[in-house]
Amino acid sequence: MAAKTYNIPELDKKLADRRYHLSDSNPDFTKDVLKTSRTIANMCFQCGTCTGSCPSAPRSSYRIRLFMRRCVLGLENESLTDPDLWLCTTCYSCTDRCPRDIAPTDVIMAMRNLAFKRDIIPKNFLQTVQAIYKSGHGVPNNDVNRAARTKLGLDADPPTTHSYPEYIMGIQKILDHFGLKENADRILKGD
Amino acid sequence: MHEYAFFLGCIAPNRYPGCEASAIKTSEKVGIKLLPLKGASCCPAPGAFGSIDLNVWYAMAARNLVLAEEMKKDIALICNGCYKSIWEVNHILKHNDELRDQVNEVLAEIDMQFKGSIDVFHLAELYYNEEICGLQKIRDSVTTPLSGAKIACHYGCHLMKPQKERHFGDTENPMWFEELVSAIGAEPVQYRNKMQCCGAGGGVRGYDIVHSLDITNEKLINMREAGADAITELCPFCQLQFDRGQIEIKEKFGDVYNIPVLHFNELLGLAQGMSPQDLALDLHGINCTPFLKKVL
Repeated sequence: MAAKTYNIPELDKKLADRRYHLSDSNPDFTKDVLKTSRTIANMCFQCGTCTGSCPSAPRSSYRIRLFMRRCVLGLENESLTDPDLWLCTTCYSCTDRCPRDIAPTDVIMAMRNLAFKRDIIPKNFLQTVQAIYKSGHGVPNNDVNRAARTKLGLDADPPTTHSYPEYIMGIQKILDHFGLKENADRILKGD
Repeated sequence: MHEYAFFLGCIAPNRYPGCEASAIKTSEKVGIKLLPLKGASCCPAPGAFGSIDLNVWYAMAARNLVLAEEMKKDIALICNGCYKSIWEVNHILKHNDELRDQVNEVLAEIDMQFKGSIDVFHLAELYYNEEICGLQKIRDSVTTPLSGAKIACHYGCHLMKPQKERHFGDTENPMWFEELVSAIGAEPVQYRNKMQCCGAGGGVRGYDIVHSLDITNEKLINMREAGADAITELCPFCQLQFDRGQIEIKEKFGDVYNIPVLHFNELLGLAQGMSPQDLALDLHGINCTPFLKKVL
């Protein structure tokens, strides 16, 4: 069976090599994922119920079971640099069906958090951060919608940060506490 | 009257204002008063923010929760994504002292403190709850039963899943949403793989739109096979994915469905006699007129 290629020679070579190299393993990665995900990922026995339940699996090379294995084996680079990491819709079907009561969805979320610490993150995630920093909303209001709201008897802007912009400063302080806006701007600029 | 702080989120007020208007009007007819939650923000989007840094997600959601705590009101909301952020962060912080202390350290910078003094509900679960509203009250509020309308119910993901942390029971083949739809006189249809995701969540819609729409397309095929006249859901983001998604699917894959997509509140509004103009149905991507002609 032909393997999917990402046109990233190093990654393609890695994926073609099915052997487990101890030198690729970082035991701290497993610990970090367990801590952030707050689920017992180390209990996975690779039954594949997760992949069988996954709506992304039939239409891509994304395999949640593979990420579970990588987690247990501490394969940090392989996990965080695989573009498939971002194809989970977080529907939690795998979590509901896991016979070991693990939440594979939360393992993916933890890995994405760890990827972000290495500046690996799709643009659209960061654009949401910028929108919220500016207006408090990930999907802000617009003029067409304002007109429609008025016709419905609603205020043109909802009673959120849109009508009370004085609350935006608090949101900015929270995001700045984590340096999130700064990181988002920096990563987007680098692209 | 049961009073709640109405958490709006983003897509309902800023893309489908009919969802917001109908929620306020329909709930009032069954004894639920939704009060504005001043200064609320994005929940924040669980897919985007949860993926970037869960600690930011906790703190941002906690800020919204504190606004309602200050009002001394429980929160009602109409979006599954918001439910994931607001309900789940409330639940986690109530039960995890270490995390709550961490979050409160951040909130102290803006003179706020999470106390854990309120609860969070989806408006649909309040409608279904006999102690608050219940099916009979919904039935009694209907003036224009949507008889003859075949409706496909889309539950969405983040309201009921993960099952172990929620309280909605079975997530393989639940029927409570269908009961709500029956209560307004419409006929819910069963379709293959009913509980499948709409495809929008987890940041996938923004990351890989074709992949995301392919999931939506599969659901639409199954809904059409069941003869659905319209789709109803409990989440404006699912609504956007099915509604605007059908236009994108037509462009990208050439498949045409023209199945209108209405939030349950909009459907309930129609059954309670609200006009299509009161619901801003003209903002929907898929024309609702043929469906309206059939049911009204």
